[in-house]
Amino acid sequence: MSLLVLRFAALFYAGAVTAYVLYFARPRHQALATAGQWLLAVAFLVHAAAIGLGCKEYGGAEFFGLRGGLVFMTWLAAGASLVVQRLYRIPAVGAFVTPLILVVLLPTLFLVKPDFPEVLPEAVRLPMLTVHIVTALLGVALFAMASLVAVMYLLQEREVKGKRFGALFSRLPSLAALDQLNQRLVRAGFVVYTVALLTGSAMAKVVWKSAWQWDPQQVSSLVIWLLYAAMVQLRHTGWHGRRFALLTIVAFGLVLGSMVTLNVLPAGFTRHAGDFSGARK
Amino acid sequence: MNSGRELHLVGLSHKSAPVAVREKVALGGDALKEALAGLAARPGVGEAMVVSTCNRVECYVYGESLEEARHFFLARTGEAEGHLYERSGREAVRHLFRVAASLDSMVVGEPQILGQVKEAYGMAASAETAGAFVSRLCNRAFATAKRVRNETEIARGAGSVSQVAVELVEKIFGNLEGRAVLLVGAGKMGALSAKALRDLGADRVLVTNRSPERAAALAAEIGAVAEPWDALTSLLALADVVIVSTGAPTYVITRELAAQVMKARRGRSVCFIDLAVPRNVDPACGEQDNVYAYDIDDLQRVVSQTHAARAEEAIRAEAIVEAEVMAFAQERETRAALPVLAELRRHAEEIARAEAERTLAHLGGKLDEKGRKSVEAMAHAIVNKLLHGPTARLKEAAASGDSELPGAAAELFGVGENENPRARSRPEKDSGAAAHPESHR
Repeated sequence: MSLLVLRFAALFYAGAVTAYVLYFARPRHQALATAGQWLLAVAFLVHAAAIGLGCKEYGGAEFFGLRGGLVFMTWLAAGASLVVQRLYRIPAVGAFVTPLILVVLLPTLFLVKPDFPEVLPEAVRLPMLTVHIVTALLGVALFAMASLVAVMYLLQEREVKGKRFGALFSRLPSLAALDQLNQRLVRAGFVVYTVALLTGSAMAKVVWKSAWQWDPQQVSSLVIWLLYAAMVQLRHTGWHGRRFALLTIVAFGLVLGSMVTLNVLPAGFTRHAGDFSGARK
Repeated sequence: MNSGRELHLVGLSHKSAPVAVREKVALGGDALKEALAGLAARPGVGEAMVVSTCNRVECYVYGESLEEARHFFLARTGEAEGHLYERSGREAVRHLFRVAASLDSMVVGEPQILGQVKEAYGMAASAETAGAFVSRLCNRAFATAKRVRNETEIARGAGSVSQVAVELVEKIFGNLEGRAVLLVGAGKMGALSAKALRDLGADRVLVTNRSPERAAALAAEIGAVAEPWDALTSLLALADVVIVSTGAPTYVITRELAAQVMKARRGRSVCFIDLAVPRNVDPACGEQDNVYAYDIDDLQRVVSQTHAARAEEAIRAEAIVEAEVMAFAQERETRAALPVLAELRRHAEEIARAEAERTLAHLGGKLDEKGRKSVEAMAHAIVNKLLHGPTARLKEAAASGDSELPGAAAELFGVGENENPRARSRPEKDSGAAAHPESHR
């Protein structure tokens, strides 16, 4: 049932992608941007319904697997981009963000086999866990959006510096707007990610009796956190523009890399859950 | 019928006359109002409107000949002779539509001309020289301009160097609020661009020049603050947009100076726009992060790209204008025939009703309600049947542009058109002023 609803949500996302991309191609048709925003809002609501149904069906354990993680993260990203549209009114961002949401969501529509533990282990049934998962996923979603905006910045900078003034030049927003949005997304992501890190180590303390274990996931999370902390700090000393955009992309590359190599998303929680349910007493 | 009345146009523009002549005939404000009133008071002139901008002066007259419009120019200066162009009828309508749609402008697609034509119409309306015809004509011209603007890309892109500069600055800084603009040197184009940027919302405009007197004069002219030339380095650290147009033969802003400035600005973006020839800004400045440097050639290239693109769009715009001219002519002819038709029908129905009444009175009470109704219906039916042919024929004639038949019909059936003009001079929507009867003399 939840899968069916999710597929419906995907249809609306596809509609939003179409509207935003068409708007990008024909910026004179303002109505397309409005349509994109409404379709995205509907998709977000249907997606929420799918998540709610999923929780009912699987008891919340769903989000411990790769599939559930992606479903939840795309939902958060959609919500975040709705907020960004509301605050900044740069519809061009929609043409970059919504396709990514759809692409990440697509595999979950066909990956039906559950890849999560049937029953959530008793040890990790903490309210903190929910906070941890939500903030970690939201942090990653915000970093992903920041890096997309950084890509937009680099594209626009190439137009402006290269004196090309072509189609992209007129369609992409100003460098100042992109730079500011990038910086704010990084800052918001950093705050959220900090919460994820704190709840994560608090849980580790509860389960492992120690907040720091030199666990590879803990180490990489800390490195990523330090990198973003450095970026937030550098901003104050005048870092901006091209270098900041490049750094945003590199940092998100690191996030992705650690997710893939450490299997954080698919197994991270599962692995930990396994640890938790295992013999560690 | 006003068969003798047509739209006539006499004018001169940047295409036909040098500025020395244009400035002698250009006029505005009260002088224009007076001239309009004088023009409309002349015999054979029904309505009049004058479009006067720095690029063109055009006198539109709805009347019997274009002599009065010619006189309007020749009375102002004899030099106008030989620079004037003349159009009548549909050609004149087309000309106005093309002007309003910015197809006849020096920079095709520039947006100001529509406002200027609207102003000209407002002026004529307030001088009470714009009647029903000019109102309809102008409304159609504005609608045409709007269509051209919406349906073609003719107004896209930047059409002048200062517009390109503005667009660039917008793409770099977005909103100009809280930004400072520095004008180095007292070139004319630089002043124009600085003015445009200030209009966009730049907080501060600073001017500096080797000669403090010229800096002060220019600052007063564009509403800026004059600063001493010695403070250039610290001024550069302040300004986000620097427009350079000095007469210096070498780079005023060298790579080293730019690097030094960037250090002082703690990396905040800066945009150098070099309008000088020979160049005053080392192009190598732009190689640094967050430094954007453009010279006159870069801007000029964009302008010529825009012009090429607009020339292509102009072909589509001309088609729209043509369609609107046709539609206007057709509407006008239909309108000319309609009063005759209405009058004819009213006349016939009056006769039928009177005859039916007389018959009924004659028959007295011999008819019941049903019989009375039948007599009335019969009279009405006879009118309809009789008029069916002429009605169709008149409508056809109107649509195909035949203006003789309606006149002939009016004469043949003895329906006067003396009271027609009043019936026709309904005020157009948002015409701004009540249209007045064509009998204005």
